Formats: sequence, C-alpha cells, structure tokens
Amino acid sequence: MATIRLDIVSPDKGEIFSKDINMLIVRSTAGELGILPRHANLLTELLPHAMKIKMDGGENLVALGGGFMEVTPEKITVLADSAELPEDIDVERAQRAKQRAEERIAQYKQTTKETLIDIDRANRALARAKARLLVKNALMN
Amino acid sequence: MANLQNIRRRIKSVKNIQKITNAMDMIARSRFNAARDALLNNLPYVDKTRDIIRRLMTQMHGQEDKSPFIMTRKQMIEEEQHGNGKFLFLVIASDKGLAGAYSSNVFKEAHDTIEYDGSPDDSKDATEENFHKKNFDAIKDVREAPKTGQMRAARGHVSATGASRPKTGGSAPSTANLSVAKEYHDADYVDGIELITVGRKATSHFQQRGYNIIKHYHGISERPSYQYAKEIADLIVERFMSGEITDVTMIYTRFVSAISCVPDDVTLLPITTDDYVAENIATKEEYIYEPDAVSVLNDFLPRRLATRIYGAMLHAAASELSSRMNAMSNATDNAQELVGKLNLYYNKVRQAGITNEINEIVGGANALE
Repeated sequence: MATIRLDIVSPDKGEIFSKDINMLIVRSTAGELGILPRHANLLTELLPHAMKIKMDGGENLVALGGGFMEVTPEKITVLADSAELPEDIDVERAQRAKQRAEERIAQYKQTTKETLIDIDRANRALARAKARLLVKNALMN
Repeated sequence: MANLQNIRRRIKSVKNIQKITNAMDMIARSRFNAARDALLNNLPYVDKTRDIIRRLMTQMHGQEDKSPFIMTRKQMIEEEQHGNGKFLFLVIASDKGLAGAYSSNVFKEAHDTIEYDGSPDDSKDATEENFHKKNFDAIKDVREAPKTGQMRAARGHVSATGASRPKTGGSAPSTANLSVAKEYHDADYVDGIELITVGRKATSHFQQRGYNIIKHYHGISERPSYQYAKEIADLIVERFMSGEITDVTMIYTRFVSAISCVPDDVTLLPITTDDYVAENIATKEEYIYEPDAVSVLNDFLPRRLATRIYGAMLHAAASELSSRMNAMSNATDNAQELVGKLNLYYNKVRQAGITNEINEIVGGANALE
C-alpha cells in the first residue's frame, strides 16, 4: 500500500510524530480533509480536533490544539500549536479544562453582550479538551 | 603586624566572592540545561516552518499582491525610499549582567545593523536569511536623487554624519535637548527608528542613547514563553499593517554551542520573495489553499513571525546562560588563583616578621655579651 510521510512538530515538544502512513484525516477551517499519498500541494489552517491517522492496517488518533498543515506529494507536515499522542494525555486535566470551558461558555450565553469573557478562546479551549478526551476514549457526551 | 591582618582580610573577601561566583556558575549551569532542552525541542518546528516558507515564497513569486507581508525587493525599496514608514528593530538581550560580553556583543551588532552605512560586513554571521544588509545595498544603488524630507527613509543617510546633516540656520534645537544618538547621528534618521527591547540591559542601553523604545519586556530573557513572542508579533503585525513601519529587523544571539554564541540580525518583515526564488528555482509548483490563498497566508505569516521570535528568544536565553556560565567559572578560577597568590604573599610577610624578630633577639643577645 502506498504511504506518505507524516511529520508533526510543535514549538515546545519538538518532533511528536514522524512515520510513514496510509491516510490522514483532519479538520481544517474549510472542513474535513482526507489526505492520501501523492496528494497535490496544499496549505491550510487546522482547527483543534482529534486527527485520524490510518497506518499499518489500524487507526491512530492524535489530539491537535490547532495549527497549520502543508501537504506535498511525498510528505505531510503539521505545524501544531500543541499535539499529544494518546499516552501523553492527562485525562483529569482535560476533564477539568472541558468543564471550565463549558462553564465559561454557559456564562457567556447568559450575560448580555458587554462581557469580559473571550468566547473564541473558550470555544477553542473546549475543542482542545474534547479532542484530548476523544483521543483517550474518555469523552462522555 | 597590621599588614598581616590586611592580607588575611583580603584573602577572606576573595574567598567569599569565589563562593558567590561558584554558586552563580552552578545556577546558570542548571538553568542552561533547561534552556538548551527548550531550544532543542523548538528546532524541528522552526526548521519545518522555514522549509514551508521557502517553498511557499518560491511559489508566491509574482503574486506579491496576495498578501501585505510579502514583497519583491523592488517594491520594498520603493516603499522604504518613498513611504513614510519607520524602521523597527527588535533587540533581544539579557536582564542581568555578569554574563561576560554577552550584552555588549548584542549591542555592537545592533548598532552595526541600525546604523549600517554600506561598509563591508566584518562580522562572519551572514546567513542566507540575513537580508537586512542586502536591502540596504540595493537601496544604495538606486539612491541617486533622494527626495528631501524623505531622506531618512533612505537607510545609510547616517553614514555621512556631520557633513550631510541638514543645518538649517536658527531652527536647530538647543544642544541640551539633543540626545546622544541625535548628536552623533542624523536626527532625522533616529526619528525614523523604533525599537522593541527584551531585557533590562537592552532597554537602558538604548534609552541612554536616545532611541525611541516603543515597548520593552523585562524579566523574560532567561525563560521566554511563547505568549510574549506572540504579543510582540501581534504588535509588529499591527504596526506593519497600518503602515507605520516598513521594515522589521531582529537582533539576537544565535546559540551555536556552549562556548560559541554569535550575534545575528535577521529581517522579519517584509518577506522578500526574490531571496527565496534564487535558492531553488526547480520547485515551482502550484499550491492549493484552503479556504483561499489570502486568508491562509495572512494567518500563516504572522504565526511564522511569532514562532521566529520565540525561537530567537530561546536562542538568546541559551546564549545568555552559557555566557554567564563561562564568565562565572572564569571568575571562580581567577579567584582561586588570587587566593593562592595572596596566601604565598601572606606567608612571606609572616616569615619576614619572624626572621625580623629572631634577628632582633640575636642582636639583643649579642649586645649583652
């Protein structure tokens, strides 16, 4: 089966993932994308979500905290703001973060416009926490 | 003997200083290890980003109008000569001293860059991304008839110092108000410069010389965080987009190894596509942008700026701590040597005193016979 190189790097953890894979499924600002080997050149921004990596007949998940992706026919490079493999995820911390973000979003919805809550940030935090829990198979709802 | 007591006191104080320098050496050593790890973890990200930028810029050549951050050299020269924008310099140095020549090396490089006048570059740091001086040289060639009033935009005007300084009689401000920089360099030129400083040393150095520091960051030089790099990048992007600044250059210390740190200057904005095209003509391929080129580039390039600044801050932190480590271990060694010398001297003086006493006793005994 044809393979394509996938490199995931983040500013503070260095190279997180670097293997030959069969397919990558990501969520970009424009929607879901599936990248197969020999894909055309592409540059896009990624949202915080759980990336799906198909390799060696199985499926792996990586939690992504947003970033950019460049695709060339031989290689995919993901410049992640943060990225975690399942074994590196702290479930309790992610749960707490999810709760915090949900509370903040609920607060934002109750109050009228002039609030100090940064709704974009809260939404991103929620997406990040959900991605981590999803990767860890610990997402309740 | 009073002399003996003095020497004893000196030995004691040198030993105390040695204890302090030794402790500082060990502190710097442990912090350096952390800083080096942070830097090594950041390197792959920076390298990958640079690769992508290379490919992108090769491809974007000829479509510079798609993003305000990229220009051809020609456009850039045009902008710098005739635009009203200022030059911005980001200087990254240390908060504290006692790091040998670390800070002064950065300042030297900064002055070389800020006041660059076209003289040959004597520093051996010309990396392929050091476009700042190239830009100047390019401007110089087309700078046949500079327009008065916009002369400051033509970099290197400063080179002619006193001779070309506009001396319109009577309108000269009182010398008391002239800052050091304006006295030695062209007032117009200095007015066209803005600085962002990281580290107390950098702030005080450039403040004393009368440069206009628009923002300074203190207390983050040893342990930089991405958040500050982002803040600086946001500020730069905002000012660049509003047209207040046309050129952004960063001066920092590149960490090569624990015994070698090189001051370096790098042009951050605008990104000139010409420089990348020359590098690899072969890879001219079309890109798909999701959702479209303008919005992806306008998100990606500021991000690239922030990661570059963050990378430079990590380089600077590792350089600062390794410089401090070297300075402090040298100081400890020197103190050790000094204690040895003083001990020898102390013993000599003591022995001289004893000999003297014996001589007196013998002399006295001889006199009694």
